[in-house]
Formats: sequence, structure tokens, C-alpha cells
Amino acid sequence: MTRQARDNRAPEETFEPYEEHRGIPLPVLWIAIALALWGVVMLFQSHSAADSGITRRASQLSTQTGQTADAGAALFVANCSTCHQPEGTGISAAIPPLAGSPFTAARPEVVTQILLHGINGPIRVGDRDFNGHMPSFASVLSNEEIARIGNYVRKRFGGQPPELTPQLVARERERFADRGPWAGGAEIAGTVDASLAPQPPTVPARIVPTDAATRHLVNDGRGDAWACASCHGAQGQGNEDVPRLAGLPAAYIAKQLGDFSSGRRDNDSMRVVARALSKREMAALGRYYERLSVPSTARPSLGGDLARGEKLALEGDWENKVPACFSCHGPSGFGVAPTFPSLSAQHPSYTARQLADWAGGVRSNSPVQMMEKISGRLSAEDRRAIADYLATLPPVPARKPTPEEASNANTAR
Amino acid sequence: MPTPHDKQRQPEGAPPATAPRSHGRTARTAILALAGGGVLFVIGMAAFETGLLGDGGDDTNRRETAAKQSDAAFQPPALGAIPDDENGAAIRRGMAIFLNTKTNAGDFVGNDLACVNCHLDAGRKPGSAPMWAAWVVYPKYRSKNGKINTMEDRLKGCFTYSMNGQGSPSGGPPPVGSDVYRDLEIYFRWLATGAPTGEKMKGAGYPKLKKTDIGYDPARGAKVFEQNCASCHGADGQGQRDINGRIVFPPLWGSGSYNWGAGMARVNTAAAFIKENMPLGQENRLTDQQAWDVAAFIDSHERPRDPRQTGSVEATAKAHHGGESYYGKTLNGRLLGTGTSGS
Repeated sequence: MTRQARDNRAPEETFEPYEEHRGIPLPVLWIAIALALWGVVMLFQSHSAADSGITRRASQLSTQTGQTADAGAALFVANCSTCHQPEGTGISAAIPPLAGSPFTAARPEVVTQILLHGINGPIRVGDRDFNGHMPSFASVLSNEEIARIGNYVRKRFGGQPPELTPQLVARERERFADRGPWAGGAEIAGTVDASLAPQPPTVPARIVPTDAATRHLVNDGRGDAWACASCHGAQGQGNEDVPRLAGLPAAYIAKQLGDFSSGRRDNDSMRVVARALSKREMAALGRYYERLSVPSTARPSLGGDLARGEKLALEGDWENKVPACFSCHGPSGFGVAPTFPSLSAQHPSYTARQLADWAGGVRSNSPVQMMEKISGRLSAEDRRAIADYLATLPPVPARKPTPEEASNANTAR
Repeated sequence: MPTPHDKQRQPEGAPPATAPRSHGRTARTAILALAGGGVLFVIGMAAFETGLLGDGGDDTNRRETAAKQSDAAFQPPALGAIPDDENGAAIRRGMAIFLNTKTNAGDFVGNDLACVNCHLDAGRKPGSAPMWAAWVVYPKYRSKNGKINTMEDRLKGCFTYSMNGQGSPSGGPPPVGSDVYRDLEIYFRWLATGAPTGEKMKGAGYPKLKKTDIGYDPARGAKVFEQNCASCHGADGQGQRDINGRIVFPPLWGSGSYNWGAGMARVNTAAAFIKENMPLGQENRLTDQQAWDVAAFIDSHERPRDPRQTGSVEATAKAHHGGESYYGKTLNGRLLGTGTSGS
């Protein structure tokens, strides 16, 4: 009534239009408050999931080994047992045993150096020779953790007193700071502890120099083919959403580039880049990145439950028809060339994004629809758990070129 | 929903409400807003938890699968629940043999396989001959050797045929009373914790696959293999290894695979296994026809000889290979069953 009355009045000259205070409509307040509560709950849930995941994993691991008192036991199970096995037996013709190995009974520097740098070459343990490819743990374990694992392994399998300290590990880290993996047992015997001889002769490193054109593509780019290194890093280490490329199978990289170019895999940036590359260049880039070995720069960052991630990676969740990740990607997540990429040390945001893309039908270029089907059965929490767990693993050791590849590359130049 | 708030709107142009009234209104609004917000939140939370919202329906999917499975199959104890005593130590040894047979029972293994290759999920998966279901029906009569078999007898058969014991360092299966049998048996017994003894359990063995009208054909199977199996088992069926030479995908024929005496060397057994379990995580991707054809394709390749063969392949075929097998048959001009070199 009053409003009408006022509207009918002749406008006053002095009248200043003004807006009256009106309360915020209640439904808006309801939604705002509901959302705020939701946000708090989500924050709390992801925070506690990460915490409980970490503690559950630690306690689970320590009870598994039945050696709760020994902090090294849990670290051993988490980092060593998928390859060397819980009882240190190794795997016949593939992974050297730790039990009874002279390397576990040698000077403390030996185990330290092997953990820090890994091995890429022939090694003799007992009377058997292995062609070892052990990853470097320097980028995923602290000095303290390496000392604990080293002491545990030397005590349990070599009967040695605990001689490793974080200080000793720090000194050993400094000693060969920039070196790559040990080229085999012979180099370790020659440099660290002579008592380990005799060891099989180290095959001279087959240096396959990358051709200048590929190096140029990687570092400087060409037209639409931007320098790979500008996003994937100088060493192919990747960063958050940008995948690590170092150590991925050559054929896998070439296939993905082909799929970006043809549209089978969708990514705005990579489509432009891939369309500027020839098939030959794609293959050359694959070979380039396959041989790179670079410390892990990935760290768990999604608040995923690491214990759950470990279970999915190692055992799967068969009730939901999810096989173990490692049943196809290799028992340490190092991949199986040519089809299955390595997963270890991949950046969690990237991994989780790919799993979500497969589940949501955005990415659909895996053989036999394997990843599409499996990802679709994982919850968002499971995807985060897997991605974070994989980021805790050491990077895949670089694959050595086979003799044929080496000679092909040399003649091609 | 009309609210008291609307009715009490101040006439415009009226002087501002007195302070106490305004306070009362603010408080009322706050209470109403909080209550309403809380209700909305609870409703939203409930919707999310029951799977009506979020994750694009994945959750409902998962729940359905889980529900379907839980009323179907027996649940063995979780791997993390192995006890920490002498029993547990033996159970762990048994599990280690089951998973990495060549490493932990290498004297008796003459190929590149492990138990877990055909008994998935560490011998736990329903439909892939889970060990909890096998444990509760032994000892029993088997027509394969015409006598009552204890679990040890049965395991001896596994080592003789599936693990090709004849090609192993010892030249045969573990001897009677070997610790290999003890450790495997206690692992099975532990997996069967709480299972009913003597009952044929749901999920036991490989579910039998009905024959199709047009029968099976290795030539059709070759195509199925190329499209569905080769990316893991290799175009040549020889499996694949990782960077350390560790077998990731087992070889399906040739000297590294099971011999002609193994159950898996029968087309019907292989077809049933494949249909129910392959490719990993996509059981029933293949039609019955495709499963039969690809099983026939796999069986039409040479593999280590049947250890029961003393005379000719023909005689052994007559004595032991009445069923669905390419043993003793001639395919593309080649007699199958003569064995691979080194076996």
C-alpha cells in the first residue's frame, strides 16, 4: 500500500533514489551454510584419510614382518620386498637374493652405495650371475631411512652389527654425488670393497649418442613442436600435471604421440605438438626418453590413503574386479615394454587425472580397453590413493639399449 | 514456504526498527538460516553416502558388484591377517611358493610358470580354481589316476604336469613328504578358514563352458588371440618379462609353458578358464565362441611332452587324451604332442 502511494506521488525534485536494505533471502543462506559445512567436512576427511593411511600402513607393515620393534623392518617391506621378497630370497634368474649374499655382509658402505645409486649391470651373488637393474633410492629415502634399511638388511641377512648412521649415509651421498647407477658388481668391488671380487666383467657402457636433430627438438623445439623440455623438464622429470617421461618405453611414447596427433588421445597442447612431428621423430623421441634416468621429483600430494594405494598396486581389489596394477605394469611398477608404461615416481596429479579420464571416457586408447574398464571401477579416493602411492616409489632404472639397437643407432648416424 | 520474516517486513520509508527488535530479527534469521543450512547439508550428505550423487555412478557400480559377489562366494582371510607364529611362518612360505614357484621350489619346476598364473589373486579368486574350495574336497577320487588322491597327491600332479617337473633340476615333482607340500597345504588350509568341509563351494574350479553349435577352430582363435591376448602374452604367446627379466605375463605354449599332461592342455579347461578370467579384470569380455576358439588356438601349439608317454604319441593319445585336446592330432601337416626340445 505504502509503495503504491509513494509511486503515485509526483517526483520531488530533491528526491535522491536510494535502495533500501533487504535481507539476504533465506534459501541463499541455507545453501551457503550447507556448502560451508560440506567444505569443512571434506577438508577434515581428506586430512584424516592421509594421516590414518600413513599410520595404518606403518602398523600393518610392522605386524606383517612380526618385528614391530625394528623400524627398519617396515621400511624393508615397503621398499625392498616386492623385488627381493619378504624372506630375502630374491627371484630366480632375475633378482639377486639378500639372504647369504656377500654384499649384505661386506663393509657398511657397500649397502649404502647400492641403496643410494642402484645398479645397472652384471653382478655375482653366491655362484649365480644376475643382470641387475636396481633403482636408486637417493631421491625417495632420507639418510635416516637408508641407515635403518641398511642396518636391518645387514643384520638380518648378513649377521652384521648396526654400523650405518645418518651421518655415514650423508658422507656417502657426498662421496659420489653426481654419479649414476653402479655399472655392476665389478665396479662396486673395485671402488667400495675389494673383498666382493671376483665379479663378472662389466660390459662397457654402450653409449648411444642421440642424434643432434632429436636433441634440438627436445631442447629448442621447432615451430609448433615446442621444446619438450619446456614442460617435461630438462631431464624428462615432469612436474605435477606434466608427466615424467624418463624411463618410459620408447614404443609407448611413440604410440602416445601418434594418438595425440590422430586425436585418439585428447590434449590441446600435445595435439598441436604431435601434429608437427613426423613418425620418425616420434620414434626418436621415444628412444631418447627411454634411456633417461633421473631422480624422482614426485611426492604424494593428493591426500590419498597410501596403505590402500599399496594394496591396489600389489594385490588389487578383486571383489570389484580390479587386478593389481603391478600384474601388468611389472612387479615393481617399472613397466613392461613395449606396451605397459612404468608407473613408479610418476607425478600423482598426472596419474590421478589419467585414471579419471579413463573412467570418464575422456581417454580411451589403452589396449583391450584395459585401463578404461579398470579405472571405471575405482572410486575417486582409490584413484588418489594409487597416484600418491606410486609417487613414493623409486624411479625406473634406465633400460640399456640392446646390442642391435646400439649398432642400428650407430649406423644410422 | 512463507516465512515470518516476509510478513514482518518494515514499511518502506518507515524509520529504522528499534535496536532490540532488529537484534531479535537478526537472531531469528540466523537460527533459521543455520537450521535450514544444516538440514540441506544432512540431506546432501545422505544422498552422497548412499551413492545417489557423485563419482558419475561409479560408486553404485562398485557397490552392485560387491553385493553380487558377497552373496555368491566365500571370503578367505585377508593376506595381512596371517598369524605371527610357527603356523604363520609356514603359511608365508607356502604363499611364497605359490606366488614365485620357481624361486621357492625351483628344484621341481621345469618351466617359467607359477601356481598363481592359473589360480589368480594368490589362489583366492572365485572362478579361477581357488585353493579354499579345493582344500575342503580332498582327499577324493580322481579319474585321472584312478585312485583316492590326498592333497599331496594332487599337488604332485600339479608339479608333474603344470609345472613340468620332468624339466626341473630334480627331474620330477617334490618327493613324498617334502616340505613343499606341507607349506602349500597349510597355506590352503589357512585360506579355507571357516569354509564348510566336504561341500562343493560356489566359485570352485573353472565354471564349465557349454559347447557351441559350430565347435571350435584354431584359425578363428588366432584372430581372437591377436586382438585380445597378444598385448600381454606377446604375439608369439611367449609372455613378457620386465627390465630385470622377471616374468610378468606367462608363456602359453612352448618349452616355458605347461606340458601336454596338464589340465590346461585340454581345450575345454582352457576355454573355461579364459572365459571366466581373461583378460584380467574383464571376465566375460569374450563370447563363449571366442573363448573356445582362442583356447583351441593356444592348444594347437607344441609344448613339453606328456611325461606319461612311454611309447608313441598315438599310444599315449589313446590311453590319456580322450578329451578335448590337440595332443596326437595332425594339424597343418604336423603331429602335435612330440614335445618341445629340452623337455
